[in-house]
Amino acid sequence: MERKPLLSVTLAIVLLVAALVFSTGCSKSESSAKNNHKTLYLYNWTYYTPESVIEKFEQEYDVKVVIDYFASNEDMFAKLKAGGSGYDIVFPSQDYTAIMMSEKMLLPIDKSKIPNLQYISPLVLQKATYDPDMAWSVPYYMGAAGIAVNKKKVAQYERNWSIFADKRLEGRMSMLDDMREVLGDALVHLGYSVNSTNAQELAQAKKLINEQWKPNLVKFDAEAFAKSFASGEFWVVQGYAESVFEELDSSRWKDVDFFLPPEGGPMYLDSMVIPKGAKNIDLAHQFIDFIHRPEIYAEFLDRFHFPASVHTEAAKYTTTKPFYNVEDLNNYELKNDLGADLEKYNDIWQSIRYVN
Amino acid sequence: MNNLQQEKRGRRLGITYSAPMGIWLTLFFLIPLSIIILYSFLKKGLYGGVEWEFTLTAYKQMLNPNFMRVFWRTLWVATFATVITILLALPCGYAMARSRHQVFWLGMVIIPFWTNSLIRIYAWIAILSSEGFVNETLRTLGIIKESLPLIYNQGAVITVLIYMYIPFAILPLFTTIDKFDFQLLEAARDLGASKPESIVKVLMPNIRGGIVTAVIFTFIPIFGAYTVPLLVGGKDSYMIGNIIVDQVTKTRNWPLASAFSLIITLVSTLGVIWMMATAANESARRKTPVKVVDSSGGSE
Repeated sequence: MERKPLLSVTLAIVLLVAALVFSTGCSKSESSAKNNHKTLYLYNWTYYTPESVIEKFEQEYDVKVVIDYFASNEDMFAKLKAGGSGYDIVFPSQDYTAIMMSEKMLLPIDKSKIPNLQYISPLVLQKATYDPDMAWSVPYYMGAAGIAVNKKKVAQYERNWSIFADKRLEGRMSMLDDMREVLGDALVHLGYSVNSTNAQELAQAKKLINEQWKPNLVKFDAEAFAKSFASGEFWVVQGYAESVFEELDSSRWKDVDFFLPPEGGPMYLDSMVIPKGAKNIDLAHQFIDFIHRPEIYAEFLDRFHFPASVHTEAAKYTTTKPFYNVEDLNNYELKNDLGADLEKYNDIWQSIRYVN
Repeated sequence: MNNLQQEKRGRRLGITYSAPMGIWLTLFFLIPLSIIILYSFLKKGLYGGVEWEFTLTAYKQMLNPNFMRVFWRTLWVATFATVITILLALPCGYAMARSRHQVFWLGMVIIPFWTNSLIRIYAWIAILSSEGFVNETLRTLGIIKESLPLIYNQGAVITVLIYMYIPFAILPLFTTIDKFDFQLLEAARDLGASKPESIVKVLMPNIRGGIVTAVIFTFIPIFGAYTVPLLVGGKDSYMIGNIIVDQVTKTRNWPLASAFSLIITLVSTLGVIWMMATAANESARRKTPVKVVDSSGGSE
């Protein structure tokens, strides 16, 4: 029985190493947080905050910016609702902006402190029916999920949603694991609104997905589809341009056709809001104003190859070609909050997702 | 010091020793569990959360055939994966117990835990995908032309689950087999048993406790699996764990998520009760009946 001490020594070493790793990790973040007196706390989507812009803001205002990330509106909302506070700016999409307004979770925007609001496109505000005067939210970016095709593997294909009905691509395609996106695409493809709550229209959309699209899909994937697309596993994916291209070396971008189907689809408008409990309200206003400086906003667009969908001046300063154009969004429709009617979508989505 | 005093002192000490564990369990198990039970009987709030109104809606929703299908699938996947895991882990545990390099083998079992489980799942994607390691190798060797569909199906889910949980089966099996007196096997063979017979009739009954522990350590986490079906599963690989996450994050139905969590807790509890019952049986077989009465007191 001489083995047992050896075993505990091994275990002790493992624990010690683990402890060391953790402690160094902690001390690092602590020391860097002490450097500045004021800190702005942002809560934004992953892949959505341009580092260079943040650095410029930190330098100009002599502050520190701390960013936390969320992967879905629901995650963000659940965290704030469960009492997560201390954020100065949060970036929800239109439906959740509306929900947060009606749940009285936001502080009003003082427009006099944000002169750059003059650059916000009036067309966007027209679509933001829940807050057309920017009393509670300032648009950050408006876009839509599209389809990415690996041109090396697929030569001929239709550039619209019916690509998912193409039998030749069976087992090589994925759609987002997101009921509003997938059902919205099907609804639009059938000529209805992405916000339809009509039972017959929804039943048709369900039939289209279950009978025509789903048999050809490998899976519904919102987590790893971009990686699988980059590895050549998936040839056609529905998803966000920034996720798709972020996984690919720019030398391979020419092999990818990213397009927004012309018949339209669901669209999102992410806004900057100041939640109740924010500590640096003035600084938050300054940040919103800073982001919408035309040359700064252009830097944000360049970083992610976005089109200038919410900003009227920034396009003059951008240096890169966006992955899609503002005009491509013409037929796209904002996903509204459906309130209690969400249940109808849930039922249909369950029959799509849970049943073989 | 008389017996009575000693007994009193022992009891006081017992409370002191069990207090940290008791507080821990109350704070991080009993209270959260009570909240989950409570929420499962409340009405769902429109934007997540709950409204304070008693209802059985969540349990009625749970009987929806779509959910039942996922439940049976989860049960089937968990049972199948557990059986394979145990069958693989038994010879491993046996070989380790008989080896002269136990520390080395233990290290080999434990080392995978140094890498984050998500990274290990992504590694499996790299191994199993159409352009992955296995398919590329087979293509290079000229064995196949078209890639085999190794990933995004039930087979991939089960394979990766077995890989993830096999150390949890090997370790308890190893410890029990290590304690086993191997001379008994020799005795059995002296008395005329064949090698397989001696294993089945002498070794197996003696390591039953280890097998039960291994079953529970694999079955329970697999029953609640979430990331593996999400990442290597296909369009029809959803398990109960995935439903729970969906209900909280997407459909904002916290009561239904709570009801499903309770199912998992219930299955785990039944497993642990089974484990305790086997342990009690075993001590009953080995020891005098008087001792069995003693052991029932220390269940918490």
